[in-house]
Amino acid sequence: MVAAAVITLASGGAIQAAQTLGPVTDPIGVLRIPKGAPIQIGGMWVISGADTALGLDEKRGVEIAFKDVGGKVLGHPLKLDTEDDQCNAEGGQTAATKLASNPQIVVVLGPACSSVATPGAPILWQQGIVDICTACTAPKLTAPDRKPEYDGFARTVFSDSEQGKADATYATKALKVKTVVTIHDGSPYAQQLQQVMADNFTAMGGKVLSQEAVAPNDVDMHPLLTRIASEKPDLIYFPVFTAAAAQILRQAKETPGLEKTKLMGGGSLLSADFIEAAGPSVVGFVIGYPDISPEAMGKNYPKFVDEYKKAYGEAPISGYHANAYDGAMLAIKAIEKVAKADKDGNLYIGRKAFRDAVFSIKFEGISGPIACDQYGECSSFKPSALEFTSADPKTFGIGKNPKKIWP
Amino acid sequence: MTRLNAVDIVLWGLRILVVVVVVAGTIGTVLKDRYTAAQWVDFVVFGLTIGAIYAQIALGYTMVYGVLRLINFAHGDIVMTGAFAGYFIAIPLDRSGYLQDNPVLGMSAILVVAVIVSTSIALLTERIAYRPFRRVTGLAPLICAIGVSFFLEQTFRGMFGSAVKSYPSPEWQRAAFDVFGFRIPRVDVLVIGLAIFFMAGLYLIVQRTRMGTAMRAVAEDGEAAALMGIDVNKVVVFTFILGGAMAGIAGVFYAFVYKQVYFFMGFTPGVKAFGAAVLGGIGSIPGAMLGGIFLGMVESVGPTLFLDGLGIPAPYQLRDLIAFTLLIMVLIFRPQGLLGEKMAKKRA
Repeated sequence: MVAAAVITLASGGAIQAAQTLGPVTDPIGVLRIPKGAPIQIGGMWVISGADTALGLDEKRGVEIAFKDVGGKVLGHPLKLDTEDDQCNAEGGQTAATKLASNPQIVVVLGPACSSVATPGAPILWQQGIVDICTACTAPKLTAPDRKPEYDGFARTVFSDSEQGKADATYATKALKVKTVVTIHDGSPYAQQLQQVMADNFTAMGGKVLSQEAVAPNDVDMHPLLTRIASEKPDLIYFPVFTAAAAQILRQAKETPGLEKTKLMGGGSLLSADFIEAAGPSVVGFVIGYPDISPEAMGKNYPKFVDEYKKAYGEAPISGYHANAYDGAMLAIKAIEKVAKADKDGNLYIGRKAFRDAVFSIKFEGISGPIACDQYGECSSFKPSALEFTSADPKTFGIGKNPKKIWP
Repeated sequence: MTRLNAVDIVLWGLRILVVVVVVAGTIGTVLKDRYTAAQWVDFVVFGLTIGAIYAQIALGYTMVYGVLRLINFAHGDIVMTGAFAGYFIAIPLDRSGYLQDNPVLGMSAILVVAVIVSTSIALLTERIAYRPFRRVTGLAPLICAIGVSFFLEQTFRGMFGSAVKSYPSPEWQRAAFDVFGFRIPRVDVLVIGLAIFFMAGLYLIVQRTRMGTAMRAVAEDGEAAALMGIDVNKVVVFTFILGGAMAGIAGVFYAFVYKQVYFFMGFTPGVKAFGAAVLGGIGSIPGAMLGGIFLGMVESVGPTLFLDGLGIPAPYQLRDLIAFTLLIMVLIFRPQGLLGEKMAKKRA
């Protein structure tokens, strides 16, 4: 009893005790998959509301990964159980709790939003379930000072500490601006990204005039923008989500005093939905984004895009499909590495062993090399800036609209 | 007078605190002298615009409450239906260039369609959802109204998707008027002007026509009015027609100023307008107008005027907090609202 409690503490937040099932012994629990039964993999993404494209794109990336391994691992079919997390903390808590209550879930892929992962990952890890996030980029999730309840969290997407630095570099080196005002919406993603960008911008010799905030469902940005106009910034940096960002973009162009101010957004806006929401003002708008042009991606990326088009009848609808694909591949490789079968063909997976496998596997993904550090950061980062070229949502295509303008 | 108790002391402390914050913040902002006169005019115009829209929505809440004692929680979503209906007319009109060449006829067409749709849906909700509950006391009608709200939102989401759609922005709307050297966006002038026109029209209908008189009679005492031979059903239908029409107009204005429609767009302005109706004194038509304008102005001017001077960063995140704090303060001083009816005791 005492030994189990000690192991529980040592395993960092996970409450399950050591267990032996079949050929496998694991300090935090063993999952048994009967012969012929599916390997259940959880998924949580935003698949309703304004940011649907963001989550759906990732779900498709995972589906293609499953298809590429023939839908089976070690003779067991793969089954994806998807929950809608609505891209907010409440939805994340619900989705993670639902997935955590299913003892057959091996690993959870997703979410798309840091506001979901922040409450969601600890809930999953409490049940010994690893979360491989496919698009949540908030720096704190893989920071060296993260709490033990995030030990089961890894991500195949870059950290915004990299994105914020790249955006600051673009602003000072390419746009050559001297002053900036940032706007966030209180979400972990926007709040932390703008902070990193502001810190780096200051370090590079720029001046941050103020750091403003809106609510995600605000529509009247005029007063805020008028206030910002009184500070006469060279650049407004607002890495917020679709609805609020479209309002800021549209209304900034109508605000006296901001005619010459440059505007810049974040990766959450890389979707046809954003073009639709922003209308004509989107033309010429720039967002900071990791470089996902074919020449910067892994060599199998073009093949993936072909498969995507064939399966869904359209080009990728947002930007994190490759990260999701690699996340799914990482999970599959980890299962292959640690799962052991007994004589009858039942499969056993040790939860701690699985977690350690995820953190140690290295491979060449389609989004670039995948190799986790000890805090769960598995992706490498290449910066770029993308500019929207047309207000017609049908023209959306990464590389064309928006097209890469930097570096 | 009775002795002061603890609650009184806390309430007075709260009032003094709010007054001190408001005065100190205002003085601080004025002394800082960061904004030009043109920018202050902008703040006021933006406040009047959103306030005029809140006022129009608030009218629907207040009239239905006056006649039925029902909080029509779905009213914000009626606004959404109007905005959507207008969208489907506005897009083809804009693409063909008609809206650009014929602003008056184009806008009229959009408004007419929006009003027809929002009024029809308002009438249907009354007939299907509210009328069967008319004689039921307690919270059932309110819960039913919340259900209607969800039903409308999810129906529109199912039919038209959950993405945010963008409203057209014809050239003539983007221009600005020059008033005493201040630049005022034309769309704001249009919205404020038309809102005043429609609200004045509604006030005249309620005050001067036979049906309006009947409405006021039912609001005063439904049973007595019925005994005097007033057809209460007809009056209720008429009330929903007026409220639905105002909601449709407000929806189109809202979409033309903020350029976005989606299925959940009615919720926030709905809640704000309900607050405005309570602030003005629920059941009072001029009160709803005043409450809406007050709320819009506080939202627009408040964060800059009160918080900038205190050096609070990112004041616009606190916009709703300021607006609703002031709303609560007003209600502490005047529980019946700014222009609330004095007969609350008799009716309750």
